[in-house]
Amino acid sequence: MNDPYQVLGVSENASDEEIKKAYRELARKYHPDNYHDNPLADLAQEKMKEINAAYEEITKMRSGSKSGGGSYGGGYGSAYGGYRGGSSGGYQQYSGQSASGSSVLQQVRVAINTGNLSRAEALLANYSDHNAEWNFLRGAVCYRRGWMDEAKRYYQTACQMDPSNPEYRQALEYMENGTRSAYRPNGGQFGTELCGGNPCLTLCCLWTLCNGGGYWFCC
Amino acid sequence: MFGYVKPPLQALPQEETERFRRIYCGLCHTLGHRYGTAARFILNYDFTYLAILLSGVEEGESRSARCFASPVRRREYLVSDGAMELAADESVILAYWQLRDGVEDHDWLHGLKYRGLSAVLEPAYRKAAKLCPGFDESTRTQLRLLSDLEKENCASMDRAADAFAVLLGAAAREVDDPIRQRVLEQILYHLGRWVYLVDAADDLKKDAASGNYNPVALRFGLTDGIWTAEARREFAATLDHSIHMMATAFELWDFGVWTPILETTFYTGLFHVGKAVLDGTFRTARCGEDRKKSKNVEEST
Repeated sequence: MNDPYQVLGVSENASDEEIKKAYRELARKYHPDNYHDNPLADLAQEKMKEINAAYEEITKMRSGSKSGGGSYGGGYGSAYGGYRGGSSGGYQQYSGQSASGSSVLQQVRVAINTGNLSRAEALLANYSDHNAEWNFLRGAVCYRRGWMDEAKRYYQTACQMDPSNPEYRQALEYMENGTRSAYRPNGGQFGTELCGGNPCLTLCCLWTLCNGGGYWFCC
Repeated sequence: MFGYVKPPLQALPQEETERFRRIYCGLCHTLGHRYGTAARFILNYDFTYLAILLSGVEEGESRSARCFASPVRRREYLVSDGAMELAADESVILAYWQLRDGVEDHDWLHGLKYRGLSAVLEPAYRKAAKLCPGFDESTRTQLRLLSDLEKENCASMDRAADAFAVLLGAAAREVDDPIRQRVLEQILYHLGRWVYLVDAADDLKKDAASGNYNPVALRFGLTDGIWTAEARREFAATLDHSIHMMATAFELWDFGVWTPILETTFYTGLFHVGKAVLDGTFRTARCGEDRKKSKNVEEST
């Protein structure tokens, strides 16, 4: 395994506080919530495992050499412990039973989970009953293909057809507001319309003024 | 289409802006060596990003030289390596087909400019197409698809953006490592999608006046080129999803020395450009007296 300190990006002399901070930042970055339905969620999950293992190893090493090491387990280990196994990874989301009990739609869910989007699309195209679940799954395929606007519209239709379904509602909610809670270094807010705050605005003005289409480099 | 992806230079420490300059100049020199002086004029920030994304974790050797853009002061530039050569080849292909697209889009008289420029670039293009036949082929296919969608007035902005996004994503196919390829493809796909949509948003008013195809106007039913609050909110949300996809992909590969530049671009720069375009301040900030200001900043650094 890689050097656990290197994995967390801290030096071996880092204080317990610094290590905890570095771990927390990385865990926020690679957290399954940040890779919700992301086609690269499997890679993020690997990263998360690596980070958890590194943190655990450092904790163990340090608690072995010091008597007061017990403070580690409580605070953070348990907070993020739940994600270790990957139980909430994006890919698991559609493995649940098909709401309408259709075996075809169940196969679509399996195809999406395994990343076989062409198969999922073909199955959906041949399924004539365009019910709420069909719309939801079309949306899920669109999202993974990067067709974010279409995804949202299918989720909307699914919600209109079956307003009480929490799975559909959650998907639509994510399309509307999900990126606001996305990871951004140093905790800033994520979003095109959210960059109006003071430090941002100053930067924005300075920066747009200083870019004359390549001119900056030539003069 | 090009010119929207830019580094937020003021948000970066000087060390990083200089690094960006070195690869920018390096790509220019690479284009010059490989394709002759004429090809150097296609250089832009977008192609520089392509070179950065394709580069390794370490910055290569750099030299310094005078050039036509900086005839007095010697500028440091990165010596070409495989990544920059690939970026140069792909840039030539993209630039050429964009010019050909301009020829198709305009009548004989207004197409003259594009016809002339593409003729100048033709020998460079032929060489590049021979070096990257796969990329050339997919660029052609995607642009044909795009022009068909424009002709049929396609109202799905995702479908239209997809044609351009796939085109850019194909630039990652020459990369060997399978994980790196997946990461780059996702970054480039969403960069392409974002660029296409931002470009369409930037042209809203112009297209409303001229009656040209505009997928964003069609999607939101904006006939006069003015945003409704609701449409603007929805559009920003869809841009944010693409930026999020780029940022999350970016975190899954070690971009080494290029990390700070890419990080500020994905987490800050794209938001600012998107907002400026939505506010209608993007174009005004690009021309006129602001150039003078940029010169002052340059001199003081």
